Amino acid sequence: MTFDWLLLAEVSLAGLGTGGLYALTALAFVIIYKATRVVNLAIGEILMLGAYAFFGFTATLALPWWAAALGALAVAGVFGAVTERLVIRPMLGESPIAVFMVTVGLGSILVGLVEILWTADPRRLPEFMPATPVFIGEAFLAPKIAYGFLVAAAVITVFMVLFRTWRGGVALRATAGDRAAAYSVGINVPGVFSLAWVIACVVAAGAGILVGAIGGISSTMGVFGLSVLVVVIVGGLDSVPGALVGGLLIGLIEALAGFYLGGEYKLLATFSLLVAVLMVRPYGLFGTREIERL
Amino acid sequence: MLTLTRRSLGALALAAGLAAGGAAPARAQAAGDIVLGGSIPMTGVFAFAGIGIHAGISDYVKIVNDAGGVHGRKLRYVYEDTAYKVDASVAAFNKIAAQEKPNLYYGDSTAFSKTINPELERLGSAIMAGASFATELNDPAKFPLQFMAGPDYTEMFGILLRYIANEKPNAKVAFVHSDTEFGRDPIATSARRAGELGLKVVETIVTPPGSVDVSTEVLKLRRAAPDYTIFHGYVLAPIPEFITQARQMGIASRWMGTFWSMDNSMVQQMGEMADGFMGVMPYRYYYDDEGQAPMLAKIRQMRPDYQSTAYMQGFLTAMLMTEAVKRTLDGGQELTGKNLKAALNTIRDFDTGGIIGVPISIPGNSIPVGRIYRADVQKKLMVPASDWITLE
Repeated sequence: MTFDWLLLAEVSLAGLGTGGLYALTALAFVIIYKATRVVNLAIGEILMLGAYAFFGFTATLALPWWAAALGALAVAGVFGAVTERLVIRPMLGESPIAVFMVTVGLGSILVGLVEILWTADPRRLPEFMPATPVFIGEAFLAPKIAYGFLVAAAVITVFMVLFRTWRGGVALRATAGDRAAAYSVGINVPGVFSLAWVIACVVAAGAGILVGAIGGISSTMGVFGLSVLVVVIVGGLDSVPGALVGGLLIGLIEALAGFYLGGEYKLLATFSLLVAVLMVRPYGLFGTREIERL
Repeated sequence: MLTLTRRSLGALALAAGLAAGGAAPARAQAAGDIVLGGSIPMTGVFAFAGIGIHAGISDYVKIVNDAGGVHGRKLRYVYEDTAYKVDASVAAFNKIAAQEKPNLYYGDSTAFSKTINPELERLGSAIMAGASFATELNDPAKFPLQFMAGPDYTEMFGILLRYIANEKPNAKVAFVHSDTEFGRDPIATSARRAGELGLKVVETIVTPPGSVDVSTEVLKLRRAAPDYTIFHGYVLAPIPEFITQARQMGIASRWMGTFWSMDNSMVQQMGEMADGFMGVMPYRYYYDDEGQAPMLAKIRQMRPDYQSTAYMQGFLTAMLMTEAVKRTLDGGQELTGKNLKAALNTIRDFDTGGIIGVPISIPGNSIPVGRIYRADVQKKLMVPASDWITLE
């Protein structure tokens, strides 16, 4: 029997497609960590909040999908700003573990909020993506995965351009590089913290809408954030390219392991990779080499 | 003027606590109530079912009490929310067992049913059923005081496979299940059963819990080209996306599910994709007004809005428990776990008032009966696709 290369291509494309969503969520995680050094474990729940806000705007208020998407992003942005100002900023200077635990609590609060507002029933988002199958050459790619990947790629590209050229982006990078120096050249560092949370929450909410469109929404969809935690640890907590490469790599490995070994090996494969990377490069593939005492 | 110091407040609280603690057992004994305890998941991931189960049990208990109780004794339903966590379920059981001395108990998960079994046997004063249809629990030797108000998961597969073998002999079947205890439950035994019925299991696909995208799994299914695909271990996701992608790829399989993915409101969430989705259901649906079904009519009268299949499960469980109590008291016996279970097992050709469409018997720990239903997207309803199927 000859090896089916077309099938391999299809499996790989599916993996990279999912990887795009991982990368997008990982980006949200990295933005916050890079700017504020906060390990935000609530990223999965913020993603869930975005998906539910979208659901609320489309299903309950019957807005068209694009207006609902903008609304959901706005909700997430406001949530990011408020959370940063009221919850995270007062914690500045506390031990990283304390801040980390606050984000864990934040996640639980969001799950509770969603269950109160929408109950714990699993739901479907309205269909808003084209349903025509996408073929790359002869290889089939599920349309939602393809479009999800395109949106993720576009957002990441825009972000990377802004990061390098826009004043706010440069301020963010400066703050990430050296907080004291950023203060001394007149950068509004607390403002940068707010900005980082707003952008990250908006990005996570966008990812939530895409993830929800594919897998449906429920109050447990925050576990997607756990897969993303693997991505950012592999890629490097403070590295944007790390989030991209890590996301695609984990997506690809999950798909290949799932197809050729079986679904029960998906997590085994990704966590084996995690262990291997941590042993060779404890700060991730692209992360800054430093010792963090947690 | 009365001033409360911190100390006097503490004393007051202590006195109130003592009074409350002392009063509760006295009340239970004096009233002679029969207590149905419950570890019920009113919040958390299983809340969609827990809320329905709670309503079903509450309604049946009300019906019994409105009719004067059992042998003049009232049924009293005492429950605690567990958030579907085993430790919380065990804590609820211990608390209710100590304070209320229940003779009947509803548990919320397979893990809980297995964990609490030794304690249930040690107490020896109650029988238990619950939300689990785990094959493992369907063993009267290992779980002598437990039962389930329907077929176990292997029996559900058995019913589906028997339907398939009738519809299309020698059909190719694929199993898609979640990588959880719930998902794995009937897979190995059902593969053997399929072989006995002349069916061919061409693919078994495992999805990790919480996985979002199923593209690679659908590619596997395309390669296997089954005539029927049976999903198990899910409530909703990832079934809709699975069917959507499979149809886009031109896979011409029929799609089937088991109990927890068969509630009408869940299936209809799939929209157009639900068209033709089938599965096994041991109970009739809320809106089914065919023939004589006085209990369904009563439920519709008590609750004008659609009630889930989880509601039916809770309702029937309470009904069967009550019947066991009635038969035990009829025989002049003491309400012990052993007597209650023996009374339950005397149930033969029992009329459930239309909750199940045929008379049922409980020879062991399960009721191996079910019917195939199919989603009708025009009517937005699950409609019967077969007659009632009883496994021997």
